[in-house]
Amino acid sequence: MAKDVKPTRKNLMAIEDRIELSERGHDTLEQKRDGLIMEFMDILDQAQDVRSDMADDYETAQRKIDMARAMEGDVAVRGAAAALKEHPEITTQSKNIMGVVVPQIESSKVKKSLDERGYGLLGSSARIDEAADAYEELLESVILAAEVETAMKKMLEEIETTKRRVNALEFTLLPQLYENQEYIEQKLEEQEREEIFRLKKIKAKKEEEEAKEEAEAEAAAAAAAVEEPEAAD
Amino acid sequence: MSQEIAVVGSPEFTTGFRLAGVRKFENVPDDEKDERLDDAVERTLEDETTGIIVMHDADLDHLSRGTRERVEGSIEPVLVTLGAGGAGSGGLRDQIKRAIGIDLMEEDD
Repeated sequence: MAKDVKPTRKNLMAIEDRIELSERGHDTLEQKRDGLIMEFMDILDQAQDVRSDMADDYETAQRKIDMARAMEGDVAVRGAAAALKEHPEITTQSKNIMGVVVPQIESSKVKKSLDERGYGLLGSSARIDEAADAYEELLESVILAAEVETAMKKMLEEIETTKRRVNALEFTLLPQLYENQEYIEQKLEEQEREEIFRLKKIKAKKEEEEAKEEAEAEAAAAAAAVEEPEAAD
Repeated sequence: MSQEIAVVGSPEFTTGFRLAGVRKFENVPDDEKDERLDDAVERTLEDETTGIIVMHDADLDHLSRGTRERVEGSIEPVLVTLGAGGAGSGGLRDQIKRAIGIDLMEEDD
């Protein structure tokens, strides 16, 4: 509220400083938001490619496991799945995109050779191996999608935060500061006008009093001049 | 710290991933998803050794609102859904609409 501010020159200077700082911050944040959106667009293109590849891999993997189930039976597939010894692992490192820390996921033991799978060469069939291969491919796509989608989520959070800050400056803080500045300027101008008016009034009164005193002095002098000849007679 | 991949869904969905070596999984049969899927997802979310959660996109409809919001917004572990085509999970799409102001994934529908 503008009326909560004391209309003093010191406050006006402080508000002008805050306006300058807020305007500079607003411009910087706007640039940051635009930069983040541009970076996000690049990641989005990449994410859409990754998603599309992952959908293809999922379809292939499903087809292969359905085939394995049909040919070998569900029990054999589940048995092979339960025999796996090597497990895929992921490690996360981070990189910085315009101040946003996004992960870089590295995976190990996703692709395995036949002897690493643990269910043995005799205990399984080519169909199960093909399904396992297809799911290993799918896992690689999933890991890539996780990396890209985490980056997207983090970028979106930062974009939302920056956007909220820009909007708060643009629609709340700056209008309030402008309103306060205008209020103080108007009040100071009003005070200045009042001061000028008051000075004029004082000056006029003083001049009036001087004129009155002068008139009285002249009248007194004239009266004295009239009395003097009478006394001489 | 190395983490693992977890799969949550019906036994038919998880078996394939187990063939690829995934050992963290929560099997929830289709007819029990409304009652048990929430707990399975919450358990997986609380496991610090899980880095990625894989689910079928259609299974998200069986989750309660709170759990769905939590899993969709989670960064560690991050959720990857399958079966949604090129549009990604619903949560991500909504977040894009909210942050950018337009639906950038519209063309994929």
